[in-house]
Amino acid sequence: MTPERWQQIDQLFHSALECDAEQRDAFLREACKGDESLRREVVSLLGSHEEANSFIRTAAEDIAADLMAGRETQLKRGEYVGHYQVVSLLGQGGMGEVYLAHDVRLGRHVALKRLPAKFTLDAERVHRFKQEARAASALNHPNIVTIHEIGRSNSSHFITTEFIEGDTLRQRIAKVPMTLDEALDVATQIASALTAAHAAGIIHRDIKPENIMLRRDGFIKVLDFGLAKLASDIEPILGAQSLPKALHKTDPGMVMGTVQYMSPEQARGEDTDPRTDIWSLGVLLYELLSGQAPFTGETASHAVVSILEAEPSPLRNHVKAPAELERIVMKALSKKRHERYQEASELERDLKILRLKLDETATLRRVTTNERETKTAASVMTTGEVVQSLPTASIEYIVGEIKRHKTLAIAALLLLLVSVVGLAYFLTSRNIPTKKSIAVLPLKPIDATNRNEVYEIGIADSLIYRLSLMKEFVVRSLNATRKYADLTQDPVAAGQDQQVDYVLASNYQLASGKIRITWQLLNVANGQVEEIHKTENDIGDLFAMQDAVASEVENILLARFVSTSSRLAAKRRTTNEGAYRLYLQGMYLANKRNPTDAQKAVETLEQAVRLDPNYALAWAGLAYALRPVGPVKSNQEAHQRAIEAINKALALDQSLADAYSTLCESQMYYEYDFVSAEQSCKRAIELDPDSSQAHDIYSRYLLSRGRFDQAISEIKTAIDLEPTSLYSQRNLGLELFLARRYSESVVQLKRVVAMDKNFDTAHFWLSTALAMQGNESEAFEWLMKLLALRAVDDETIQAYRTAFQMSGWQGVLRERAERFNKSGEDDIDGAAYYAQTGNKDKAFECLERVYQSRNLWMAYLKVDPRLDALRDDVRFDELVRRVESR
Amino acid sequence: MTSSPHQITQLLKAWSNGDQSARDQVMLVVYEELRRMAHQHMRKERPGHTLQTSALVHEAYVRLVDQNAVEWQNRAHFYGIAAQMMRRILVDHARARQYAKRGGDAHPVSLDESAIVSAERTAEVVALDEALACLAAVDQRKSQIVELRFFGGLSIEETAAVLAVSAGTVMRDWTLAKAWLRREMRATGK
Repeated sequence: MTPERWQQIDQLFHSALECDAEQRDAFLREACKGDESLRREVVSLLGSHEEANSFIRTAAEDIAADLMAGRETQLKRGEYVGHYQVVSLLGQGGMGEVYLAHDVRLGRHVALKRLPAKFTLDAERVHRFKQEARAASALNHPNIVTIHEIGRSNSSHFITTEFIEGDTLRQRIAKVPMTLDEALDVATQIASALTAAHAAGIIHRDIKPENIMLRRDGFIKVLDFGLAKLASDIEPILGAQSLPKALHKTDPGMVMGTVQYMSPEQARGEDTDPRTDIWSLGVLLYELLSGQAPFTGETASHAVVSILEAEPSPLRNHVKAPAELERIVMKALSKKRHERYQEASELERDLKILRLKLDETATLRRVTTNERETKTAASVMTTGEVVQSLPTASIEYIVGEIKRHKTLAIAALLLLLVSVVGLAYFLTSRNIPTKKSIAVLPLKPIDATNRNEVYEIGIADSLIYRLSLMKEFVVRSLNATRKYADLTQDPVAAGQDQQVDYVLASNYQLASGKIRITWQLLNVANGQVEEIHKTENDIGDLFAMQDAVASEVENILLARFVSTSSRLAAKRRTTNEGAYRLYLQGMYLANKRNPTDAQKAVETLEQAVRLDPNYALAWAGLAYALRPVGPVKSNQEAHQRAIEAINKALALDQSLADAYSTLCESQMYYEYDFVSAEQSCKRAIELDPDSSQAHDIYSRYLLSRGRFDQAISEIKTAIDLEPTSLYSQRNLGLELFLARRYSESVVQLKRVVAMDKNFDTAHFWLSTALAMQGNESEAFEWLMKLLALRAVDDETIQAYRTAFQMSGWQGVLRERAERFNKSGEDDIDGAAYYAQTGNKDKAFECLERVYQSRNLWMAYLKVDPRLDALRDDVRFDELVRRVESR
Repeated sequence: MTSSPHQITQLLKAWSNGDQSARDQVMLVVYEELRRMAHQHMRKERPGHTLQTSALVHEAYVRLVDQNAVEWQNRAHFYGIAAQMMRRILVDHARARQYAKRGGDAHPVSLDESAIVSAERTAEVVALDEALACLAAVDQRKSQIVELRFFGGLSIEETAAVLAVSAGTVMRDWTLAKAWLRREMRATGK
């Protein structure tokens, strides 16, 4: 149709509409002047117009609502999903329906789970779910269900797995209660599955009886790894992102069933980690043994409160269980993650040992007479004590031993403890990869007139995700690299902009249902192409195509970098056992952070790098040990030596997180360069998000900036990563103090001194916090303990006593200020005593000297409450200005 | 969402000045934002509330565009794109739903009549999309009016403003476009 013709039709149509209905025919006949096809066209449009009244009258709103809500119907027998034919519905849950289906290609039965559309709207999340589910399946663990396919039949995502004939654990326990032996067997198998999955970095997040299948031959299979994560953003029950919503879902039974296994951290909407699964397994085991869930309530909300606050009633109230089993279950059910089993393998091991013990007892029982059987039955009940005395958990065992002996052996045992902790550290640090940073740029079309943004971003996203799973790489996020979509963008310039070692840049061409990608790995430092490859894939299934491309790239990069990375990793750690042991010892001492131990730490670490000069971690450790208290003559000297050591460490291994976090300390505590300090620390965390030291240092940085909430959250992360670090524990106490949360600070610091009665600075801050709280007598008690620790002479102690009796804490402060004055030392504490006793001039003189000596505490000038009396003085502002503008 | 209102505003300006790659970028950002908002809305699952496409489009505008810095022409461009993206989102959804209901291409299964009350409208969206593509070949403006009104949820006046024509013209075009589409869709049996 020509535009003129269409214009004619348009005009006639509207003119006809303006006519009265009965005159329309005559009007058209006249107007069309014998052009019959024109007349018929207009008449037919007028006819449609009459019908069209109810047609697209409103906007697409109702459709949109319906479409987006994604209401779905169940599949029927005989219906096909891909090449699977539905046989029957096996079950239905929050995560979709499960069908028994027949794989017509391979002629076998499978279990087919169709995922609700609302979980699968976000391609990225589906992608991640696929990765995780496949990774779990690929572990080939006898207790993890095997996945055949994760696919999509048009819009519907589905998973097919091996079909397991048997019951879910839920169905099984509904029939007959489990015996102690059966329950232990099931729990051990689940723990074993979790051990394998956690080692591969996969968390289940939804361990409950519905997700465990019990095969007829006694094997259990854990289902649905990764699925909870997929659902969590949508279904807040599991991710607990919005608990109130979860609690108001319409199906209370369903919610209750899910809520009961939820961990406290899930209930609070916090991040999950392997210990989340340990909790849920604890709940499950408790239920298997006692026949009832440990945390219940009339409603789901009550159950959640119970999870967060209530202690479960002891197992022995419900069932005759060995004390050791009680201990195991209660440990798994510790509200605080760091008090739980830290790894599924520990739980698995304790369960196995317990079973062995019980077996022995049972064997013993079989060969005894009835009379003796009564006695052995009693010994079953006390098995716990027997087992507890075994070295089930080495550290606990040693601590137990220390408590028992309390002799000179303590020293020897402490050393042993250091090496046990150290060994654990060594074992984990061996897994820390050396990382290359890389930026993946959006793909660029060779032919700009034939392009598709979905591919450009989608493939880049797949690659980013895949590379981020490789330990060898630190990958820039899509958000960071998306802006380089410009067709004229120079990839090397993008790489420099992103400060990465490598850039992955690709071109693509689309032709007859295929996509051809040419990708290059560019070395940003010299601008050279290090790899160049072509791939060609069918476009048909977008996800499959993206995965295929990502796999090909991954394989080539793996081949390229793995050897290099092991070489680098060797530099990070050492093959010299002596150097390694010295490193551990040095770090242990360094983390005490007092002058005497720091001096020893420096000497020890210097020995370590002498034994192995290529030991990057030890160089970083040396810098760390040099930092805190000026163990050498001056802060300046300590700083210079620390910087030298950091440079050595970075020359050996430029992606060493510890070197960057230590650099942050140098920048904030000596250079007072707070901008660079933050960058260094962020880099450290980026290089190794699991570095407790990096989080610890970053929290102190945040503290110095007065960002208290962030600081406290960071230090808690550090503690979570390294719960045994007394230094981080003390820092939490100190940070609460500087944040002026005195009562919390007191509680935390008391916890620290209970853990280590010799922790000098923890005593000091505890005493200070108590005084700030106004609790003078207790503050004084702790001061006395501190002085005893420091083996201060009797005369001094007597002087403090008298001062306290005469004029309370003020008297103590005056006494301290006076003694400080005599000592001729310069320290921030001295300035604090002067400030708190009203001697402003002295305080400022002291602060000036402290500033000149580049004392690290100047970083906290703005926040230290002890200096409050000085704050409205112009000299204070001047000092702050000098520190902050350096 | 990485794009700041300022960036989008800059992109809209660049586009007004003839930069086609700016248009592509705006498209991508708007598409993602609308999809994100639609999903978020869906997650809230407020019973009795329908998903208001017009509300989404207006909200996207407020979120994405720096209102003080944008000229009238840019605003029109934005709404044009938003309606187009909304169309894409809804039609993609409808298509997916249709296939899902059929349970796979190879073995279409007859639909349970009682379960397809809304399937009718789903089919309508897909058919409309196809018919609109034909209409665009004949009369671009009319096709765009339908897109803005139906998918973008804009009123007659808003549509007129976006296209820089009078409300009367929009009314006239809308009337004929509807009749034409109705006939087209009936003819193809949809």
